[in-house]
Formats: sequence, structure tokens, C-alpha cells
Amino acid sequence: MRNIVMPGDIVAQMPMQLENAYVDEGKTYSKILGMYEEGAKLIIPLEGAWNPRIDDLVVGVVVSAKNFVYEVDLSSFMRSILIGGKFDTRTYKPGEVIEAIVKDVEDRRTIILDRPRTLYGGSLLNVKAVKIPRIIGKNDTMIGQIANATKCTIVVGKNGNIWLKGGDIALATYAIKKVENEAHTSGLTEKIKVMLENSSK
Amino acid sequence: MHCWQFIARQLPARNRKMVLEMGAIDIVKGHYIRELAGKGVREDGRGLLDFRNLVIKPNVLENTEGSAQVDLGGTRVLCGVKLQVESPMDDTPDQGNLIVNSELLPLAHADFEVGPPRPEAIELARVVDRGIRAANCVNLTGLFIEAEKAWSVFVDLYVLNYDGNLFDASSTAAMAALMHTKVPKYENGKAIYSEKKNALKLDSTVVSTTFAKLDNTLMLDPSINEEIESDTRVTIANDGKVVRAMQKGKSGSFSTQEIETLVDVSLGKYGEISKKLEHTR
Amino acid sequence: MASKANKPELIVNGKRLDGRDFGDLRSLTIEASVLRNADGSAYLEWGNNKVLAAVFGPREATPKHMQDPAKAIVKCRYAMAPFSSIGEHGRTGPNRRAMEISKVTQEAFENTIMLTDFPGSEIDIFIEILQSDGGTRAAGITAASVALASAGIHMKDLIYAVSVGKIGEHLVLDLNMIEDNYSDSDMPMAFSPKDEKVLLLQMDGDFSKEEVARAMRMGLDAGKVISKVQKDALLAVYSKAAAGQKQENGA
Repeated sequence: MRNIVMPGDIVAQMPMQLENAYVDEGKTYSKILGMYEEGAKLIIPLEGAWNPRIDDLVVGVVVSAKNFVYEVDLSSFMRSILIGGKFDTRTYKPGEVIEAIVKDVEDRRTIILDRPRTLYGGSLLNVKAVKIPRIIGKNDTMIGQIANATKCTIVVGKNGNIWLKGGDIALATYAIKKVENEAHTSGLTEKIKVMLENSSK
Repeated sequence: MHCWQFIARQLPARNRKMVLEMGAIDIVKGHYIRELAGKGVREDGRGLLDFRNLVIKPNVLENTEGSAQVDLGGTRVLCGVKLQVESPMDDTPDQGNLIVNSELLPLAHADFEVGPPRPEAIELARVVDRGIRAANCVNLTGLFIEAEKAWSVFVDLYVLNYDGNLFDASSTAAMAALMHTKVPKYENGKAIYSEKKNALKLDSTVVSTTFAKLDNTLMLDPSINEEIESDTRVTIANDGKVVRAMQKGKSGSFSTQEIETLVDVSLGKYGEISKKLEHTR
Repeated sequence: MASKANKPELIVNGKRLDGRDFGDLRSLTIEASVLRNADGSAYLEWGNNKVLAAVFGPREATPKHMQDPAKAIVKCRYAMAPFSSIGEHGRTGPNRRAMEISKVTQEAFENTIMLTDFPGSEIDIFIEILQSDGGTRAAGITAASVALASAGIHMKDLIYAVSVGKIGEHLVLDLNMIEDNYSDSDMPMAFSPKDEKVLLLQMDGDFSKEEVARAMRMGLDAGKVISKVQKDALLAVYSKAAAGQKQENGA
């Protein structure tokens, strides 16, 4: 069973350890607008800020560099830090776009990044982080067909930043925005496919 | 196929600020916008001299004498017009007053802050005011009631969502709200707000067109990214026959030839926008 | 308050001027997610009130010295448009009344939002009264609550607000502008419907102990309708979103 829950909606008459839920007087309540999957014991958010998890791939812009410590703008309220030096002889300049992996999240306040890679040139696009799974699609189907049709190199960050380079960026941007705005409609993969085919003719 | 060989640089020293401070991500987007502009292309695929989709909704607020909401692409401006009996100004004893004010509401963009009006909001109100005033849209003499009594027309522009080009969206919202303004009944020195009959008399329609310039590319109705990245911009308001108000903004420059071209384009856009305004009647 | 000298008859033949019974709400509609840039938003019409609420955040708290490393800070701005009332043009900018309402609204939401989930951040709530017809603070809170939910902010509950006033010896629900101007007493309240806790309470006029209790009961009963309108507004936007998500996840 899956159904939409709202903050304060009861999800279980007993205390339960459940992400995006809280326990009050022996009962479990949702604390977000989301979809409750009873079987998977999961409340999937329908809106909201990116909640970083270890191993998330992210895209951001280096905003400061000091002694091999880089601050990266990930469009999040949390601070993100990339620590270079040691074995990494590369340096990153403010203004450079990078992709990286979330290595750790400290006190829900600071994101520690690892395995950085500079993304040269191109453009950035921001979308709602909750729409990222839909933009990627099942087994990368959605983003795969957009990349193929537009000949763009695309890196999708879980944080909602998407980097695009080469090819028809305008068309890729339009397609991604369309997925974001119409994430609720069915048959979207097919719809985007048709749109891409018609546009490239 | 495009070639993207440039490396993201830091912001050059020149002033790129418009309404917003630029963040790191805006800089990256800006490079892309500029790259596109060099090829005569825009991020949303529009022609260089095309407006975004314009939707005008009049009469959205009942407590005002006139109102309209305008969506220009993602930019949304609400305009409320209030009429009030006041004394005419000393230097124009036979005329009413026109007061235009604008608010960049903090809910319109993440970087709009709570606080006293910013210079951008004041400039916006004054540019809209100048167009309407210079084109004599509102017949100020017609606002005179009797000795010491005249209508003051308050035009309040509420920016609800900022996605670039507030000038044209606000000017259109103001025009639409004024076109739907009804004058309250006047009795014994007072306005009777519950009784409104006559439409506010308008003598002309003014249409505002704003252009951004990136390197050597000129574009109408800049989006937020285009506006932030642009070197300069100019707003040209006309009444279909002559230019009625202009305002250049930002630190870049235009050639005299470019201005002449844009005046031509502006006059050519009058029909498109004024027709949309007329259709709301 | 307006002069009591020319007070109109507010109750005629057991009905209020707009035809309502004592315990009736005015018509209430809410639309969620109406603004593009805001993280969450809602547009509400309640009687002749028209209210826009928007939420930004959680975002980095500024200025930096305001940051709380343990929890989020909540900022709230309630403001009335200068064209919101019938009659003359209002003053722009916040006055003392608006600042007080902003403060008590902020405090109600500080109770509701799970502040420790977003340490070091700020959550901004903006309430713009575009058209006013009495009970604007209640309308603002009711709209802001939907805006917060649509921003994905973690909250204990979806709160709402309503006011109960007194006309003559009658307690009446949800005062409109005329009733508000001439009534003897007014008590705006905000509630958490989940546990019926009072999150905002103001009052002026004269209420007996028994009337206070009865007014709160009326406010709680009204919540059944208000909460439903709030949830329906969110469902109208997100039930489709949920369906899309199901499909894409291969359910």
C-alpha cells in the first residue's frame, strides 16, 4: 500500500523507526508531505531540500580555495568541503564546476566530499532535488535518451545541479525542465522520446 | 556541433549586477548564456526579438479601483490601483496626481530581502511612471474634481515572481490595471468607494520594451539569466507613434546606431502588446 | 475598531449579515505551489481575503552570527498590501500591528517545524495580504502551513488558525471585516489538529471563563473543515506527482 501522507498524519499506532517520521506518545506520525510505502516502511518525500547520503554523486561550483581545502557550492543549506592535498596533486580554482561523491555528513551541517573531478566548460541547470530520480529514470532510461538525442555530455548531481556540455544544450535543458515540471504525468519517457525526435528533425 | 573549450573563470571586474548578487552557479550559467548569445541563440530557443508568453488577467482584486496580474514568462507582477481624494499639488492646482510605487517582494526570489525599498525597486517604479506620464495615458486634468479637490491615482506594483525583465511586465500590469480602473462616486468632498461607475479616462496606451546586450548581441525581454549576465540594457516605452520614455541600465554601452535600431524594434512591438491589452477589455 | 456610535445590526433574525449561522465558516479555497521561485507556496481565498504565502528554505542562515548550530531559525514576515482594503490607499511598509502578527505567527511555526532537522539554517515564511476582509492573520497562518508542507519542511503537524468573536451575547465563528470592526470581542487562535494544542492565542474584549472554553471548542470544530481544505490543496497537486513516481519506480 502506498498513499500520500502529510505532516501530522498517523502512519502507525505503535512506535516505529521510520525515516521522515517521528514518534509521539507511542504512535508514529509523518513529518513530511510524502508517499508512505507500508511494505518498504518508507516515506518518500514529494518535496524538499536534498538530504545528502554517503556515496551521492553531486555537482557544484568551487567557491573558495585555501591550503587545499575547498568550499563547494552545492545549492544546499549545508556547507560542503573538499579536502585536497596528500595524494591529490590537482588543484581546483574558484569558479570551477566539479562533480564529487559525498564521503560523510557531519552533524547534518557539513558535507565532506571525495573523488572530485573538474567539469570543464559547459553549463549548469538547477532542478528540484526530489525530481532527480525521475530525471535519471529507471536504469538511466530518461537521462540516457536525452543525452543520446542531444549529443550532450550530462552529469546529474543528486543535489539538483545538472552539468551539460557539448551537443544541443538548449534542447537537453528544455527536455530536463519538461521532466521536472511534468514529473507527475504518466508515459513521460515516451512523451520525451517523441519530443526529442521531433525536435532533431 | 558547438565547441566548449573555455574554462570557467572567475567573475571579471565589470559590473554584472542587476537586481541580484551573482552566486558561483550564476557565473557558470552566465558563461553559457554569453556563448549562446555569440551564436545568436537563446537558452529557451526564442528569437532574439521575441517576447516570452504574455498573459494578462484583469480585475483580480475587488477592494481596489483597478487591478491586473501579468505573467511574462516566469515573471509575475500584480498591480493594484487605488483612487483617493486629495488636494492638487501647488504647482498644478487643476490636476490630479499619479503615484507609482513598486515592491520587490521577498517571496519573488530567494535573493530579494526584507527591508526598505532597494534602488532597483525605486528605479522600476520611476521608469514605469515616466512612460505612463510622458504618454499622457492618465489624463491628469481629468482627475480634477473641484477647487482643492482632485483624485490621486496610486499604482502599486507587486513583484510576485522574478524571472527577468520586470520593466515590461510591470509596465504592462500597470497599463492593464489602469484600463480596468473605475472611479468612485464623489460626494461632499469624499469618495464613496461602494459606488463606482465611470471608467478612468485614458488618452493613450504605452508599451514598454526592454533589451539586453551581451557582447554585440541585442535581445528583447531578457530572462533572469540573460539579465544577470548582460553588459547593459535599455528600456524603451512608446505609444505607437513616438518614443515616450527611455532608461539605460548597467555599466555597458550601446552605439548610437544600436539605439536607433532598438527604437525601430520597439515601435514595431507596439501593436503586439497593445492588442493583448485591448483584448482584456 | 470603528466608532460604536454608528454600529450596524450585525445579527438579524438569528443570522449574520452575510447570511451565516453563528458557527459557520466563510467559503475557503487554497491552491498549493503557485509561485515558481519559492520553495513552497500557497494562495488562499477565505471570504473576501486573498492571501499569498511563500516559504524559502532551509537555506544558509544570514547574517552568520544569527546561525544556531543546533537548529534552524524561523523568520516570518506578515505584510498587508497598500491596496488590500476598501477605501483609501494604505501605508506601505510594516507597521506595529504587522510586526506583532509576524512575531506571534513565527512563534506558532517554531513550535511546529522540526528545527533540529536543519541545524544552522533559516526558514523564511512570507505572508502577503493582497485583499483583506477580517481574520487575515488566521488566513495567513492557514496558507503558510500549506506553503511549508509544499516546501517539504519537516513539521509535527499541518496547523491552521481561525478566530471566534462575540456579537452581543453570541459567540460567532470566523469574523468578517464588518463584524471584526464592530464586534465586542475577538479571539484569533492557531491549533495543531493532531493533538488539539493551542499555538497562537490573542484576545480582546470580554469573554467569561465559560465563553473562552466554548470559543476554543468552536475553533477546534472548525478545524475539521479547514484541515480538509488544506490537505485537499496539497492532494490536488501531489496525488498526480505520486502517481507519476509510482509508475517510474516500476510499481
